[in-house]
Amino acid sequence: MRAAEPVGGWLSVAGPDGDVVVSSRVRLARNLADVPFTTKAKPAEQTRVIEGTRSALEEGGFLEDGGFVDDEQLTDEYGRFLLERHLVSPDFVENKVKRGLYVNKDETVSLMVNEEDHLRIQALAAGLDFASALGRAFGIDEKLESQLGYAFSPQFGFLTACPTNVGTGMRASVLVHMPGLVLTKEIEKVLRGAAHIGLMVRGLHGEGSETRGNFFQISNQKTLGQSESEILETVTEIARQVVEYERKAREYLVENLRAEVEDKAFRSLAVLRSARILTSNEAVNLLATVRFGVSLGIINEISLPEVSRLMLLVRPANLQVLLGENLKPPERDERRATFVRESLVK
Amino acid sequence: MKKCDSCGEKPATIKVRQVNKDGTSTEVEVCTDCAREKGISGVETIKIDITKVLDEIRSKVDEEDKKLICDGCGMSFAEFKRLGRLGCSACYTSFAERLEPIVRRIQGAGQHVGKTTKSGRKQARERMSVQRLREDLKTAIQDEDYEKAAELRDQLNRAEKNAGS
Repeated sequence: MRAAEPVGGWLSVAGPDGDVVVSSRVRLARNLADVPFTTKAKPAEQTRVIEGTRSALEEGGFLEDGGFVDDEQLTDEYGRFLLERHLVSPDFVENKVKRGLYVNKDETVSLMVNEEDHLRIQALAAGLDFASALGRAFGIDEKLESQLGYAFSPQFGFLTACPTNVGTGMRASVLVHMPGLVLTKEIEKVLRGAAHIGLMVRGLHGEGSETRGNFFQISNQKTLGQSESEILETVTEIARQVVEYERKAREYLVENLRAEVEDKAFRSLAVLRSARILTSNEAVNLLATVRFGVSLGIINEISLPEVSRLMLLVRPANLQVLLGENLKPPERDERRATFVRESLVK
Repeated sequence: MKKCDSCGEKPATIKVRQVNKDGTSTEVEVCTDCAREKGISGVETIKIDITKVLDEIRSKVDEEDKKLICDGCGMSFAEFKRLGRLGCSACYTSFAERLEPIVRRIQGAGQHVGKTTKSGRKQARERMSVQRLREDLKTAIQDEDYEKAAELRDQLNRAEKNAGS
């Protein structure tokens, strides 16, 4: 769980509609019936939730296929590593309570213990594929429920610390890459459309995070009064539309501005292959443009999963784990450039 | 400041429009004392500063919010409003009356549909049986079968407790 490679199973393949949709994610918020929510739980109660969850996972056979991490092991640095890998939330890293974390071997399932809610189950799948993500999430959810007993009311559904999550407790999101719509300046229209049907659009790491490299996260806002399948249908529907619009925008760009688009893509690749100093931001943005070139068929020598892998490994915490060293920023930028150059010049 | 049209001494604070019998109207400006003497209603409320009223209402609500306490975890409703987070699952029943409109506003709905827990399914069944028992009880009372009604009432009490609503 502390190795930079291999990268998560949801990143190492291009899933359905993978040219636009990087991944699909399902998150379930759950609380134990007989313990106060995390903020009100005493340290002993927080520990009880962690230990109870660990033994429930063991009972369910989940620990054979993954690992459980204690609070002491969850250092800030390790937290950043996990955050970059989309396995934990920013709040979880910051949280000053006793925490626990389960991650399965291929990093398609993670379980945060004592985030805002006792349990935050998260499942990821490559491309537009909620069926796989939901199946994974429900698999672990049902096992834990039978062992731990959830807080539930027939009226409000699964009870959560924040009323914005009550009901299904489910947040379904897709991570989409929309450079075509950004370049053709159609992006605002799409974002407004999504907001109009009650969906939320955010940056790479969800709530409060910036959009970078033209990646956006689209998710449902409401969790009560709609079943899980209805929510997934809505998010899938808008994702399909986004895919269609993005592809149209890309077609338009290739037909009308081919030279400019090719120039942008190849220049980015050239910089990545030649630079001696690369910051994380610059590397991510250049790789995003290369990704665009790959999905347009302009760049053929690299695959989409290879770009995704590099985009993760150039991030500060992951780079340091990969190199097995703690480095200061200037040195880190040099080592990053070397790593990228060696990966791309074959 | 204009002096009172009635006593001519104190400053006029209230404008009064008098409708005469012939349908015309005249406007007079009087002081608070004369207005009260003439029995013009609403004088007392006019004197009150609206921001003060709002502040009073607010502090009254705050007071009530502080007194509304969850019997599960001891969180007050005021604390919930400040944090935006509830303390425990019992908060949902302790604050039910105040919380429901908030949930409705956020979610645009007030009833869960979708996945339930095993115990939730049991609760849902029990809620159904509560409804059935209520109807049976009503019929028994209408039929004046009090023995049966008493038995149904006991069953209903038990079922309501189990349904947890």
